[in-house]
Amino acid sequence: MSIFRNMRSRQMRGLLLKEFREVWRDRRALGITLGFTLLFPLLMIGSGALSYKVMSETSFAVAVVGGEHAPLLEEQLRGGDLRIEPLQGGVPQELLQGKYDVVLQIGKNFAEDYRDLLSPTVYLYVDSADKSGGRGAQRVQEQLARLQQTIMQQRLAVRGIAAQTLSPWQLEVRDVSTPSSRGVAILGLMVPVLLIMGLMVCSTAPSIDTSAGERERMSVEILLQQPLSGWQVVVAKVLAVTSIAWFGALLSLAVLTISFSLLPLAEIGVRFSAGLSELIAMSIILLPLALLVAVLQILLSLRSRSFKDAQVQLSILQALPVTLLVGLKLSNIELDAPIWQLVPLVGQQQWLSALMAGEPISTRLALAGSVVTLSLVGLCILVGARALRRESLLGAT
Amino acid sequence: MIRVDSVYKKFAAKPILRNLSFSAADGQVTALLGANGAGKTTCLRIIAGLLKADRGKVFVGGLEPSQHPKDVRRQLGIVGDREGLYERLTVAEYLSFFASAQGLAGTELEEALLAVKGELELSDLWNRRTKGFSQGERMKVSLARALVHRPAHLILDEPTRGLDVLAARLLRKTLLRLRSEGSTILFSSHIMAEVLELSDSVLVMADGAIVGSGTPDELMAQTGCGNLEDSFVRLAYGDLREGSRHEYF
Repeated sequence: MSIFRNMRSRQMRGLLLKEFREVWRDRRALGITLGFTLLFPLLMIGSGALSYKVMSETSFAVAVVGGEHAPLLEEQLRGGDLRIEPLQGGVPQELLQGKYDVVLQIGKNFAEDYRDLLSPTVYLYVDSADKSGGRGAQRVQEQLARLQQTIMQQRLAVRGIAAQTLSPWQLEVRDVSTPSSRGVAILGLMVPVLLIMGLMVCSTAPSIDTSAGERERMSVEILLQQPLSGWQVVVAKVLAVTSIAWFGALLSLAVLTISFSLLPLAEIGVRFSAGLSELIAMSIILLPLALLVAVLQILLSLRSRSFKDAQVQLSILQALPVTLLVGLKLSNIELDAPIWQLVPLVGQQQWLSALMAGEPISTRLALAGSVVTLSLVGLCILVGARALRRESLLGAT
Repeated sequence: MIRVDSVYKKFAAKPILRNLSFSAADGQVTALLGANGAGKTTCLRIIAGLLKADRGKVFVGGLEPSQHPKDVRRQLGIVGDREGLYERLTVAEYLSFFASAQGLAGTELEEALLAVKGELELSDLWNRRTKGFSQGERMKVSLARALVHRPAHLILDEPTRGLDVLAARLLRKTLLRLRSEGSTILFSSHIMAEVLELSDSVLVMADGAIVGSGTPDELMAQTGCGNLEDSFVRLAYGDLREGSRHEYF
């Protein structure tokens, strides 16, 4: 019995060394891993930072055409984030194409109509295709509304009417969310999806190379001529592919963590609260999923007709988890229910979301969910071992 | 000894092997001659336990590959029609992997590696990755892989294909040494001079069956031909004329 165990462990050691060397020396796989894990998070965060910069732009150029007809109005708009520039004339459309975000046009009858309480029209020109124009117009509207409210109250007071008559109640919205919970809402889908995508993308090239590639190069026949069990071959391949996929996901996580610490998330009321223990927990949680992703990709590649066919099939598979997670997120399903945490992929997404916000997860449920995922991995390994016995694998039909 | 007994195998209703029977004795070199598509590769795959025969039995060292695939594979060293190299591994890593797959470890493994390194003159290639190797170098490494665990039975599919003169001489020397050590050697070839030099007995295969067997001299006597090539052509293709024979090679 011990002789067989020794033999198996020698074979397994040799197989693992071979598969790890093959995978980690595959420049294409490494290139994809580094490219995706380093560039994709940076690209996402960069575009987020850019949008934030645009959103937080504090100054809008407002051209006031005909401001001399309402000097008080023009005066009241000044200050804050509006840069008011009075102009004697000009075509609003042309002004908007120039340096102005918004053009306010006041008619020459404004003062007279205002005095007669005729509610004169003021035109606000904006190019809604221009982001800062839209927000500039919103700021001018808010400023004007405040001024309008003040004037209305003054007019009512002069006539002996309490201003509250026109406002039966005041509505004040109070946001009870915490920075962490806003972090979950905003980053809760993005980060897990990015990490899961990382697993998928990083394991695709080595999965294809180690199965369909090995078949195409005819080295699989030499491998099957050895006194090895099918499960040993599949396990070694799965572990090697998992190692690179997991490395990719961990690298993504590190890049995200560093980037979040450099971003002014607090200014938009969001906090990335994962500490070292949460990051370690996230890494451990990703491992069973990395194994499942690797074994599924290897299985599909083994069943495909050629290297190219495997590439097509795995490209489709890559989009599946993201589609599924976004679909579930948009549905009304209560994903934090215990039963959903046992479902591979959904469970991992839930735990990653919670850990990212520094919230606790149920260790019992996380263990149970990981066991379910690992059981699926075991089942897939057995299916893979069977697939290695197919005569068609050798090109025999 | 390798014994193939009434083996029948078909793919998609097309018979590839038709009650194929032959044996390759221990301490002998047996040559398997057959045109492309005669069923040689299928036969070798059944012997290695990679394919299952629809009917009939195969024995390698007294064991059936379908019943004891691992035990049979420990006794076999195979050089197929493709070298199956791993291009990201060095020769040393490649051979070390296959030695460990055969259960070797520690000093036993080191000694086995040193032995094939010396026998097949692999020193110059030893620490090089196999990507970019010439056909001859690939075949040499492939042969080293088949020999590293000292198998009792060696199966070679056109082993001198692509080898230069020196490498082919080295291979022939190795095979003759293995024969003298009692190994069973079954090899296929299209080079009649090589078959004549190496083989103790010759099997002529056509359409999935053995159509002639014996020593080269016996085959020539059976067919009444003056050389082995003509004997092979007569046995494999019957009355085909010279011009159409070459289509088969």
